[in-house]
Amino acid sequence: MSRMGNRLLRLTALTTALGAGLAGLTAAEAATLKLMFQGDPYEVKVITETAKKFEAANPGTTIELINTPHDAYNEKVGAAVSANSLPDIMQLDAPFLANYVWSGFIQPIGPFIDKAVLDDMTASNVAQGTYPVDKQLYALGLTDSTVALYASRKQLTDLGVRIPTSVEDAWTKDEFEALLTKLSTTPGVKWPLDLFRSYGTKTEWITYAYEPVLESFGCDLIDRTTWKAEGTLDGDTCVEAAKLMQSWVQKGWVVPQSAGGNQFYAEGRPAALAWGGHWFYAEAHSQLGDDVVVVPLPKFGEKGASPNGTWIYAITKNASDPALAGKFLSFMLQDPDYRAAYREHAGFPGLKSFAADSPLYAQGGAMALAFEQASKSAVPRPPHPAYPTITLAFQKAMNNIFDGADAKDELSKAAKEIDADIEDNDGYPPFGGN
Amino acid sequence: MTSISHPATLAPAPSRPVPRDWSRVIAVVAVSILALVVISPLFLLAVASLKPDRFQILADMGSFRAFWVSDPSLQNFRDVWTFSGALPFGRYLVNSLIILFVTVLGGVFLNSMAAFVLAWGRLPGRAVILTALIALYIVPQESIVLPLLTIVNRVGLSDSFTAQILPFMASPLYIFLIYQFFIQVPRDIYDAATVDGAGPFRIYWSVFLPISLPVLATVAILLGIETWNQYLWPLMVTQTDRARPISVGIASFFGHDSVYWNSAMAASVMMMIPVLIFYLAFQRWFVSSFISSAVKG
Amino acid sequence: MSIDAVPAPGAGRRGALFGGRMQEAAMLLPALALIAVFLLLPFLSSFRIALTNERLIPRPVPPRFVGLDNFQNILSDHEFWVALWNVARFTLMVLPVQCGFALAVALILNTKLPFRNVFRGLFFLPAITSMVVVCVIWATLFQYPTGPFNQILSVLSFGMAGPVDWLGDPRFAMPALVLLSAWQAYGFQMIVYLAGLQGIPESLYEAAELDGANRWQRFWHVTMPSLRQTHIFVLIITTIQAFKLFTQVNILTQGGPRGTTDTVVHYMFTAGFVNQRLGLASTVAIILFFIVLIVSLVQRFVVRDRK
Repeated sequence: MSRMGNRLLRLTALTTALGAGLAGLTAAEAATLKLMFQGDPYEVKVITETAKKFEAANPGTTIELINTPHDAYNEKVGAAVSANSLPDIMQLDAPFLANYVWSGFIQPIGPFIDKAVLDDMTASNVAQGTYPVDKQLYALGLTDSTVALYASRKQLTDLGVRIPTSVEDAWTKDEFEALLTKLSTTPGVKWPLDLFRSYGTKTEWITYAYEPVLESFGCDLIDRTTWKAEGTLDGDTCVEAAKLMQSWVQKGWVVPQSAGGNQFYAEGRPAALAWGGHWFYAEAHSQLGDDVVVVPLPKFGEKGASPNGTWIYAITKNASDPALAGKFLSFMLQDPDYRAAYREHAGFPGLKSFAADSPLYAQGGAMALAFEQASKSAVPRPPHPAYPTITLAFQKAMNNIFDGADAKDELSKAAKEIDADIEDNDGYPPFGGN
Repeated sequence: MTSISHPATLAPAPSRPVPRDWSRVIAVVAVSILALVVISPLFLLAVASLKPDRFQILADMGSFRAFWVSDPSLQNFRDVWTFSGALPFGRYLVNSLIILFVTVLGGVFLNSMAAFVLAWGRLPGRAVILTALIALYIVPQESIVLPLLTIVNRVGLSDSFTAQILPFMASPLYIFLIYQFFIQVPRDIYDAATVDGAGPFRIYWSVFLPISLPVLATVAILLGIETWNQYLWPLMVTQTDRARPISVGIASFFGHDSVYWNSAMAASVMMMIPVLIFYLAFQRWFVSSFISSAVKG
Repeated sequence: MSIDAVPAPGAGRRGALFGGRMQEAAMLLPALALIAVFLLLPFLSSFRIALTNERLIPRPVPPRFVGLDNFQNILSDHEFWVALWNVARFTLMVLPVQCGFALAVALILNTKLPFRNVFRGLFFLPAITSMVVVCVIWATLFQYPTGPFNQILSVLSFGMAGPVDWLGDPRFAMPALVLLSAWQAYGFQMIVYLAGLQGIPESLYEAAELDGANRWQRFWHVTMPSLRQTHIFVLIITTIQAFKLFTQVNILTQGGPRGTTDTVVHYMFTAGFVNQRLGLASTVAIILFFIVLIVSLVQRFVVRDRK
C-alpha cells in the first residue's frame, strides 16, 4: 500500500509540474497586438486566419487573440480593467459603447482607420459607434444588425394583404392591427405574431427589438437631452405603446415565451408573422424557401423605427501602438476572405461596399428592405453610460407587462430605477449637466 | 428466504432456483423500463447530434420529432473534431483531462487527509473547523469569482492550468462527505493501529484509506464531474486556448445571434464520453462492506 | 458481534499516545490553506465590497463607502423576499423528490441485479450531462402547447386536460424546475447513498433475518438507521445546493413568470453581473450566507437531537 502511495505521490507531483510547465509558456512579448473578441465558430476561424495574414504581411508583428465567449464578456472587461491589462483592441456590444467611453477605456478610432473604410460605413454603423458627448467615432465593424417582419408571401396574398415594398410604405398601425385581427381568425394560424419572447430576458432582445415600437410611437426609453427617464419612459405615449403590445399578448395573438422560437416555420406554421432579427431569415428560409417575404417594421406613428447595433471593434487607451491597431482593423475589414465568411453567414452589412457585394441585402435581394431600414429608420439604443441599468429595467418591465402587470406602474418603476442609478453616479458627468 | 450473501434490500432473492430466474428476469425488465424512462430525455440529445442541419434541429424542437432522425449522420462529430485551428477541440480535450486528473488525484488525497484529522485527530477545535467548512460551502461560486479573479491575476496565474486546479482541489463538500464516513469506522480499528505504534499518517494511509474505497470513489467521481463541467470560472480565467477546457470551447457554439445546435449537440455528446468512462472505472470501487470485513478480520 | 457503527464525532480522542499533533496539523493544513486562499479570502472581500457602491466595470468616479445602505436596500426590496420565499419553496419540494428517488435507485443498484454495472452507468447519465444541455432538452419537453409532456398529458387524460404552459404559468413554473433539477442532480445523492450502502455490515442483515425480520422491516430497522451519517450529509448538502439554485433559472425562466421562479442567487447575479452593482451583489451573498447557515445549524441540531 505504501509503495502504491509513493507512486501516487510521484504521479501527483509529476502532473502538477506538467500543468505548471504548460502554464508557464507565454507568447513572445515583442510587438504584440492583443485582440479581445467573441464570436461564432466561423468568426473565430476567419479572425484567426486574418490575423495570420496580417502577421505575414507585417513581419515582427504578433497578434494575440483572446477569444472570450460573450457569456462573461463584461466580467472579463471589468477584471482586465482592475488588473490594468486591457488588450489593444477590444470588441464590444454597441449599446455598451457609451459606458466604456465614459469609463475611459477606449479612444476615438477615426484617426487610425483608413479613410476608405470610414467613408464606406453606413449611417447606422456610424451611429452605433458614435459617442454622443463629443460626437466622435469610437468603434466600427463590418456588420450591423436589424429586426424585420417575416411573413409567408402566399398567405398574405391569399388574404389580400398589401405587401410593403419600401421602408416608406411600411404597414401603418391600423393596417398592422387589422392584419393581426384577420390572422387571428385565419384557419391554421395559432398565433398571428411571434415576438420571440422565447429569447427571455437573458439577452438584449426585449430592449433591442421592442424599443423601436416606442420610438415609432414618438417616445423613448429615456430623454436623450436631459437624460432622465421619468416623464419619458412612463409618459402617456410609452404607456400607450406598451399597452398596445400587451393587448396583443392578452388576445392570445403572440407566441408565448415557452413555445420556443420556431413557431413561424415549425410543422403546420403555427405563427403567421415573425418579428425577428436579420439572422432569422436563414432559419426561416431553410424551412419555407422563397415563400418567406421580408417587410419593414410597421409605422406606429409619424415615422418608422428599427434597431441597430452589433459587436464592433474599438482601440483601448491601453494600446501601445494605436496606429498599428488601426492598421490591423483596416486590413481586416477590407480582407476579401473575412468578408466572404460573413457574407456566407448572412452578416448584416455595416459597410456599403459589403452590402453591394452581398446578394441577400443588395438591391433585389430578399433582405433588401431590411437593409434599407439601416439608412432610413435605424435608431441606436440610448448611448448613455447607464445603459446596463436602462436595459435591465425595461426588460423586466416589459416582461411583467406581457404577463399582465399594469403598464403605467411597471414603466414608472423602471423609470425610477434608471433615474436612481444615474443619480447614484452623480449624473454621469458630463451627461445631463450640459 | 434463507441466506442472503449481500445487503439486498429490494430485489427478491428466493432460494428455489426456478422462481429466482423468473424474478431476476422480471427485475431486469422492470429496472430496464425505469432506466429507459429516466434517460429518455437524453435521446433528444443523441438524436439531435445526428442531424447535420441545425435549422432542422430547431424546426423539430418542441414536438416528438425532436426524438426522431430520418437520415442519421456523424457529420457533426467530424466537423467539431476538425475545426481546423480556430477551435482546437483536441487541445481542449487534453486540457480538460489534465485538469481533471490533477484535481481529482490531489483532491481525493488532500480532502481525505483533512477529513481523517477532523474525524479522528486530537487537534483542538476540530468541530469548529468542520462547521466553518460546511458554512463556506454555502458561499455561491458566482459571488466569489470576481475577487478570486483579482487574486489569481495578482499572483500571475491568469490563463494557467494551476488557476483551474488549485481552487477546486480542496473542497468543504468532500471533506464533509469523507468525514461522515470516517466517523463510522469502529473505534477498535483505530485503537488497534495505535497500539501498533502507528502515527496519524500511517493510520490514515494504511488503515483508513484501504477500507474507504467506496467513499473515495464517490469523491473522485463527484469531484471529477464537477471539474469536467466547470464553466464560469475557466471562462473567466482563460484567455487563449493554452489551458482552455472543453466546456468553454463548446460555449462558442452558442453564438450571439444564433446557436449552432448541430455542433453544440455533437460536442456535448463527445464531452460526456470521457467522464462516463471515468465514472464506470471508479464505480468498480463500490465493493461491499469494506468496513465490516475489516471488523471481522 | 455488536457494532456501534455510528460513534459520535471526534471519537478518537483517546487515540495515539505519542505527539502526532504536528503530523495531524501537517495533514490538515494543505486543504485548509487552499480553502482559505481560494474560498475564504474572496468571500471575506465581499464584506468589504458590500459596504461600498463598487461597480463590475470600474468607473472614473471611485467607489465610495456607503455604510449599510446596501443591506437596507435589499432587505426593504420586496423582490428579494419573493426570491427568498421561492428558493425556500424550491428546497422543500426538491429535497424529498430528489433524495427519495436517489435512495430508491441506489437501493436497486445495490442488489445483485444482472447487468448491474450497465444500470449504474445508465442511471448516472443525467448527472454527467451539463446543465445547459439539460435545460435545452427540458425546454423542449415542457414546450407549450405541443411539447412531449403536453402530448402525453393529452393522451393520458383522453384529451380532457388542456395543454399546460409548464414554464410560463406561475403555478407550474416552480414545480417544473423542481422536476428538471431533481432529474439532473439525483445522481449526486444516488452515488453518495450507494457508497453509504457499502458500509453497512452484512452481519446486521444476517442478524435481522435470524430475528425473522421481513424485507420491509430490514429496510426500516437496518438500512435506514445504518445510513444515518449519509442521511445527515445528504440532508445538509442538498439543502445548501437547493438554496444556491441558479443555472436552470438563468437559462430557462430568468425568474419569471412574474417573479415566481426568481431565486436569491439569480437576484444576486442580476444585481452584480447584469446591473453591474457589485456592492449590492456582495450584500446579497452575505445575507444568503447567514440565512442558509442558520438553516444548516438548525438541521444539524435537529438531527443531532434525535440520537
